[in-house]
Amino acid sequence: MKRYIFFILFTAIFQLGYASGVKSKIEVPLRFDRYYNYEEVTEALKVLHNAYPEMTHLDVIGKSEEGREIYALTINNKKTGEELSKPGVYVDGNIHGNEIQAGEVCLYYANMLLTKYGENEKISKIVDKNVHYIIPVVNVDGRAHFFDDAHTMHSSRSIRVPKDDDNDGLFDEDAPNDLDGDGSITQMRIKDPYGQYKLDPDDSRILVRCKPGEKGEYSLIGSEGIDDDGDGRLNEDAEGYLDPNRNWGYDWEPPYVQRGAGNFPFSGVGLKAINEWITKRPNIIIGFAFHNNGGMWLRPPADNKTRIPAADIAAFDVIGKNAKKITPGYVYMPSVDLYPTFGDFDSHLYFIHGIFSFVGELYPDGAETYHDDETKPKKESEGSGYRGDNTEETRERLKFNDNITQGELYKDWKPYKHPVYGDIEIGGWVKMSSRLPHPFMLNELVHRNASVVLLAAENTPEISMEIIDVKKVGNNLNRIRVRLVNKNGLPSMAKESEINKTHRQDILKITGGKVVAGGKINDIRLDKVSYKEKKPEIQFLSIPSYGNVEYQFLVEGKGEIKINYESLKANNLETSVKL
Amino acid sequence: MKKLRYFCIACCLWILGMPLFAQPLISFDKYHTTTEVQQMLKKLQQSEPVKTQLHTIATSPGGTPVSVLEIGKNLEDVPAIFVGANFEGNVPISTEGALAFAKMLLDSAKYTEKIKWYVMPLPNPDAAKGYFEGIKFGRSVNDFEVNNDMDDLPNEDGPDDLNGDGIITQMRYKDLEGSFVISGKDSRIMTKADKEKGERGEYKIMEEGIDNDGDGKYNEDGIGGINIGISFPHLFPFEKKEAGKWAGQSPESYEIMRFIFDRPNIAMVYTLGSSGFCIVPPKGGRKGGANLSNIKIPGRYARMLNADPQKSYSMDEVIALVKENFGGEMEITPSMIAGMLGLGAAVNPLDEDLKFYTKFSEDYKEYLKGKNFNTERLDPTPAKDGSFELWAYYHLGVPSFSMNLFTVPKVKEEKKAVEGELSLDDVEKMSAKEFTALGEEKINAFLKANNAPDRFSAKGISDMMSSGKFTPKQMVEMMKKMPKPKKEGELSEKDKALLAWSDSEWDGKGFVAWETVKHPEYGEIEVGGFVPYIESTPKPEAIDSLLQKQLPWLLQLSEKIPSVLFADEKITDLGGGVYKLEIYIENKGYLSYPIAMGERNSQPAPVVITLDGEVDFLEGISRTPLGSIGGNQVKKLTWLIKTDKKPTITAKIESAVFGTDVKQIKIGG
Repeated sequence: MKRYIFFILFTAIFQLGYASGVKSKIEVPLRFDRYYNYEEVTEALKVLHNAYPEMTHLDVIGKSEEGREIYALTINNKKTGEELSKPGVYVDGNIHGNEIQAGEVCLYYANMLLTKYGENEKISKIVDKNVHYIIPVVNVDGRAHFFDDAHTMHSSRSIRVPKDDDNDGLFDEDAPNDLDGDGSITQMRIKDPYGQYKLDPDDSRILVRCKPGEKGEYSLIGSEGIDDDGDGRLNEDAEGYLDPNRNWGYDWEPPYVQRGAGNFPFSGVGLKAINEWITKRPNIIIGFAFHNNGGMWLRPPADNKTRIPAADIAAFDVIGKNAKKITPGYVYMPSVDLYPTFGDFDSHLYFIHGIFSFVGELYPDGAETYHDDETKPKKESEGSGYRGDNTEETRERLKFNDNITQGELYKDWKPYKHPVYGDIEIGGWVKMSSRLPHPFMLNELVHRNASVVLLAAENTPEISMEIIDVKKVGNNLNRIRVRLVNKNGLPSMAKESEINKTHRQDILKITGGKVVAGGKINDIRLDKVSYKEKKPEIQFLSIPSYGNVEYQFLVEGKGEIKINYESLKANNLETSVKL
Repeated sequence: MKKLRYFCIACCLWILGMPLFAQPLISFDKYHTTTEVQQMLKKLQQSEPVKTQLHTIATSPGGTPVSVLEIGKNLEDVPAIFVGANFEGNVPISTEGALAFAKMLLDSAKYTEKIKWYVMPLPNPDAAKGYFEGIKFGRSVNDFEVNNDMDDLPNEDGPDDLNGDGIITQMRYKDLEGSFVISGKDSRIMTKADKEKGERGEYKIMEEGIDNDGDGKYNEDGIGGINIGISFPHLFPFEKKEAGKWAGQSPESYEIMRFIFDRPNIAMVYTLGSSGFCIVPPKGGRKGGANLSNIKIPGRYARMLNADPQKSYSMDEVIALVKENFGGEMEITPSMIAGMLGLGAAVNPLDEDLKFYTKFSEDYKEYLKGKNFNTERLDPTPAKDGSFELWAYYHLGVPSFSMNLFTVPKVKEEKKAVEGELSLDDVEKMSAKEFTALGEEKINAFLKANNAPDRFSAKGISDMMSSGKFTPKQMVEMMKKMPKPKKEGELSEKDKALLAWSDSEWDGKGFVAWETVKHPEYGEIEVGGFVPYIESTPKPEAIDSLLQKQLPWLLQLSEKIPSVLFADEKITDLGGGVYKLEIYIENKGYLSYPIAMGERNSQPAPVVITLDGEVDFLEGISRTPLGSIGGNQVKKLTWLIKTDKKPTITAKIESAVFGTDVKQIKIGG
């Protein structure tokens, strides 16, 4: 028994050691040559907050199904204004529990803003102009289990709400099993003269499909596991599945239409808490949700029946088209072009909260290389598109594993006595591989992707207002002309929100005199104005990206006339003129 | 003094000991306020504390609790029925209905022995308050803050009671751009001017009010809020501000969904309100949904299944193809196929389910006749997109029955009593022989007088009746269902019925007579129109009888709930310790489990047969999902087992709905 405990302790230490590189004290500046588990992310956030107490606050915004705390770090320089008066930049990650490097991108962004504030001019300006909301780990249970339990690189995605995936009356009863106790769920293969596979002559770790008529050597049995519920199927009812990126309110469809939707919108309690928190911050104008993998910048819509206004597409493009250049190997496209989804987070942000939202699918394919210019493998013209089916690429990735990560990404096949299958072999890509860059590559990944968030923050609207003309046009009547200019790439509010009345429009308000007439100037040279019929002293408007709008007011009276511009998502302004 | 105190204590004890005696009776002779409804629920709970429990599941944005009375707390392992009422908030009789229904359940033990009940009379209390407020406008939204016009203020421009009568009706005023005229048939009603007849509009019509916020729009941002009656996720109406921004945005509907999903034993749902599936089956014909009888198989799946991507298949054909190509023991359900092929959501009731809806609606009409209940009333309102009753059917996949407890009687067409002319009712009672004996001339006259379609001819019908294919009763039923052609200039059936109802029942007060009022902007205008609630809310003295006549039908319907039990088993000794075990499972209820929609969405909890004992399974497994089972049907499951002993094995039916049924089976006995 004692020996057994030692064994467990030993493997636990071994796993931790792997997960986080050499375990070290977490201090500012944070290190990004390692992955932080859930507790360490929390610790890292506290350390950042403690180092910059004036610039940050750290809030627990809700709890998960298993009671873990969901943290949000807010970075705001109070000296340059209150939070809600500045355009908000929202960044989150790790909504799928297994997509852990997304959390590191968030931590890096926070770390970069805070440690370079006052040193780097561009970053200082962005910190002063915006408020930054950062939730590194949305699916806190998923991340915790991904580190603590044996998993594949694809599992522990779900929100921890049990679901009877195989419809047998039992919930989550047949997950994969870590038969060899190495902390990863890898693959099982069995020698089988009637199998469909044979060993690759170049690398015996790879199985290749037999050609028709060729004698087989192996069968693939699937992920490491046993038939826990004795129904003749392996690993068919693992945790969940409630996909945290299908459970949001906008365009939600039930699970028989959208797998993983959950029983009703926001059945995930952590997601509900996050939505309520976002609702209280109507100043957020840009949002990023980081995922893995494949190297993509995705924008709404996620369905093929909705068209979004051209002005908004242009605004998305300002960021998306430049983001591609910052992150080599990434593509930029509407989310629906990947596949249509219902109830996803990004559509919810855009259509419900009026936030320009991006999904960043971190880590492009083809990053794990082992070749020179001459040996560069040709892209197979007719691949199935799925990684792993492409033998050429698998060979190269294995050499990358052998020579650059010293074998840490792949577990060699080892014999195992399976209770049902008898003599089998277990091996393959480990949990911390494939969708995740090896820690040595992490620094570049987090930096480039955080730079895209910075680009977006830089492009949040910056409105300036000037009185361009005051002219006496009658007895006791003055004409005042005002121009509002946006020098950045994002408009003061999304066109979609304006059309569908998602939130309050911007307001231009005159006080101090009687406004006889007022309206938008359509052509200043030709003196064309659309007057507002009622209440001309309050105009509702929005200011386009890289654009300006002009308004004209006919004001009766004397004295000081105040002009206020109020926006939910852009900066607020006030000016005045003496008549 | 001391004595007196003892006496008091004794009295208290005596009262406590007889709680039923101490409580006033619960009666239904008025509409109860939200506070009174809460008190009544408490009273009902306290009257049977062992059987009942009161759950407070949410608090409305206006601060009123939403409560569910559980009846059958003491029961385990039984199916449950959820009863919700007045989601739209402006049908107060449905709240009374739910309370009366709870009382019926508690008054007789008959329906609470094998079924657990959850009764929720007031899911939208903020809106329900509108009936009792000083100014009534038929409020259906709660106090959730919504800035409908997205200007600088919320709730700043609601309707205004210009004529000070405490109700919001309509205003009409003469306007050059108006498109309405006063109806020639009844000067109370406004109709659209008919350009083709050379009419020119004279009036504009609007809801009674002023432009409080001076933005040029009238009543565009009134109080609240979200209408709980359209805030559920099936066909959620995103475009309607009063639905909320997403399904379940307001706590009432969110917590109702959570409460129901936390209780997988809920196998049937009743809704009291404005729709009436009990009398008119849920409507179909919506476009855009998955058509399961006409499925195209996309290319990549077509290759896998050796199917033709150009051809259309029925669901059964696709299931057959999948079985053929992938075999296995697993039951292939329509749900799996629909999910795999990405067929999308169902938006029309499934054919199999329409069968029971139609049958029960016919039975219900008979039942009402038996109770001397006038069924010649305006049809119930079709269930709205985002409604609770649609959600229960489409998302929970359980039978969902809705009942509207009151609509206004139709106006009987005044029949000139022409000598010898036959009415529909006369003909309905005739035999085929009697009808054909009338002769061609009389039959044609009858058909013409009753708006029969052109394809009905005396000769054709007589031939069909002579050959026994058609009866006068069937013919009359068909003719009654035909839409009545709207005659030129006629009032709509609804307007006619409402006016008649206002005159006969409300002394004309169901319609506020047009009255000239000074409007701040339009000057002289007229205010008038139908009083809110008139369509759905009878006088208080009518409540009790309406409830007593209609609600017991829902008790009867509860007996149609499926019930899954062991029927029989058969063991065949094949020699060498190998046995064939056949177990017969029967559904003693009328309804299948699950219904077709439940099969489609896989939401109802499965029924699983487990076998436990010292046997090896040669074929079959120890936990076998039953799949679907039809009403009054038996399903056979087969295993091949091997054993060297002669063991007794334990067979169990496991189900979150029906509980557990256990049977010991002796093998080789």
